[in-house]
Amino acid sequence: MFTKSGMQNKKQNEKFCNRLAFTVLILIAAMVMLPIYWIFRSSLMGSLDIFIWPPKFLPMGTINPSEWNWSNYTIRSANFVFLRNLMNSFAISVPCVIFGTATAISCAYAFARLNFTGKRFLFSLCIGSMLLPTMVTLIPLYMAWTYLGFVDSYWPLILPYLCGGGAFNIFLLRQFIRTIPRDLDEAAKIDGAGYWQILFNIIIPSIRPAIIVISLLIFITTWNDLLQQMIYIHSADKYTLVLGLTAFFGNFKADFAGMFAATVLTFTPGLIIYLVCQRYFIEGIVMTGMKN
Amino acid sequence: MAGKKKKKSLMEKKEQRAAYVFLIPAFLGLSLITYIPLLAAMAIGFTDLRTGHFVRNRVLPPPRFVGFDNFVEIFTNPTIDFLNSIGVTVYYALFAVISSVFYSFFIAILLNRKIPGRAILRAIFYLPYILPAAAVMISWHFLLRYEGGLINYFLVNLGFERSHFLSASETVIPSLVMIAVWQCGNLIVIFLAGLQNVPRVYLEAAEIDGANFLKRFRHITVPCMTPIIFFNMLMSLVVSLQVVVPALSVTRGGPGKSSMFMTFLMYHVGFREGDLGKGSAISFIFFILAAILAAILFMTSKSWIFYEEGED
Repeated sequence: MFTKSGMQNKKQNEKFCNRLAFTVLILIAAMVMLPIYWIFRSSLMGSLDIFIWPPKFLPMGTINPSEWNWSNYTIRSANFVFLRNLMNSFAISVPCVIFGTATAISCAYAFARLNFTGKRFLFSLCIGSMLLPTMVTLIPLYMAWTYLGFVDSYWPLILPYLCGGGAFNIFLLRQFIRTIPRDLDEAAKIDGAGYWQILFNIIIPSIRPAIIVISLLIFITTWNDLLQQMIYIHSADKYTLVLGLTAFFGNFKADFAGMFAATVLTFTPGLIIYLVCQRYFIEGIVMTGMKN
Repeated sequence: MAGKKKKKSLMEKKEQRAAYVFLIPAFLGLSLITYIPLLAAMAIGFTDLRTGHFVRNRVLPPPRFVGFDNFVEIFTNPTIDFLNSIGVTVYYALFAVISSVFYSFFIAILLNRKIPGRAILRAIFYLPYILPAAAVMISWHFLLRYEGGLINYFLVNLGFERSHFLSASETVIPSLVMIAVWQCGNLIVIFLAGLQNVPRVYLEAAEIDGANFLKRFRHITVPCMTPIIFFNMLMSLVVSLQVVVPALSVTRGGPGKSSMFMTFLMYHVGFREGDLGKGSAISFIFFILAAILAAILFMTSKSWIFYEEGED
């Protein structure tokens, strides 16, 4: 059956398929990157040059063709105060990441390792909440936060992350913890370690990739959550990056260059964090193996 | 023997107590942030609560129960035009779910091959997902401009007509779907994770039996991936039904009412106009609609999901 030429043929076939896949991927990847590049290009041009026809693919203006217009980044509009908005965004996202990750780890540990009555019921409640549209709970939560006097502060955006950090994250961590052999915690238990010790000394060190994944996921969700930020934050000095950008877009006056520069600035923090951790990030999700 | 058994149950009790302590945050979250508000939302839908007075004085005026008035109102009031909103949302959601699941599965299969630069390509495809959706929408708004937009430049060069994209009511939803597909890196990663779990032995056995790539794909990869496909469809459905950022940041529900998504309508009625009762009525109907669509997906799934033996 398997002649040598047949095997070679198969190998060649395989090689051809890989090359084809590679070409298609490069083409699509270029299309994926193009919009991002385009925003960057436009942010370095004069407002009048951005929409000239045919478009220029390099950021060169008609007035001074050789120079990149970095001055767009000293943004003129009073509506977009980048540094203040940036700090505000961090003031929301950092506590969310810390609280959300910590509580998600503790819940995932209990679901993955410990036996207790009502485990199945609680777990299905938890998984079920993934399907529950958050939009339905917005009005009652808004009323509750108003009653507590927390509107126009960051508390309504931060406090929910004290409560498990989201069902999907708990699920992801639980899956990951279940891939760690139980022998380790059994051994530790025999040596007299308590549950907290097992959690801190055995579980947490071995699920580091998954922890990075969920911290990033929480960071992205809180950083980008325009709707809730719009509902709860009213005063301009508390605006976050996305709120600032949306407001800027809402009343910009043909200052296209400034608009694009503001957009690039809004992209950058997430981009930097992603580039630093992206290796762990995708590996982490892939490793959890998303079974079931 | 008896002593040992007693000791074990003591251990079990200890374990149980520890578990509950670990679960306090989840308990609190599930009850206070998720399930109680859900019930409250249903109740508020039957009252005439408004924000104004309440926000200023933080004193809840005794809510007046108005029965089904809010529901009748949202369905009959032409300025709310709820039926249009339902149609727009379902149209967008189905379109977005199907396109992004197909696209991301396709990309994941290609990415799963042994090709150079795989890690970088993976990172590129994931990248749009992490960018702030509001900034993404604003960027696309400029890329899709009728006058001088990059995409129209390509269309013209390829011999097509220019399109109005986000500024015409027939094209706004397809354009938003395109942007959603562009942003669906998270689905790609989940598919990739699933593809790594397709048992190699099956694929190799089939190869030895002479099955070509397409046959292996059709009879091994796809069946093994059906649970992941289902998971992605479900998650994508829940997210797409709640679509709101495009309307909040760029389209404002327009042109006309062609992108008046249900979540945006709820935000508009409940928060902008301060009519919490009607807003809750909208979210109540939304909840039922989402549940029906998810139930349909679950019901059909029984016939096409392939379950491996020995699953827990």
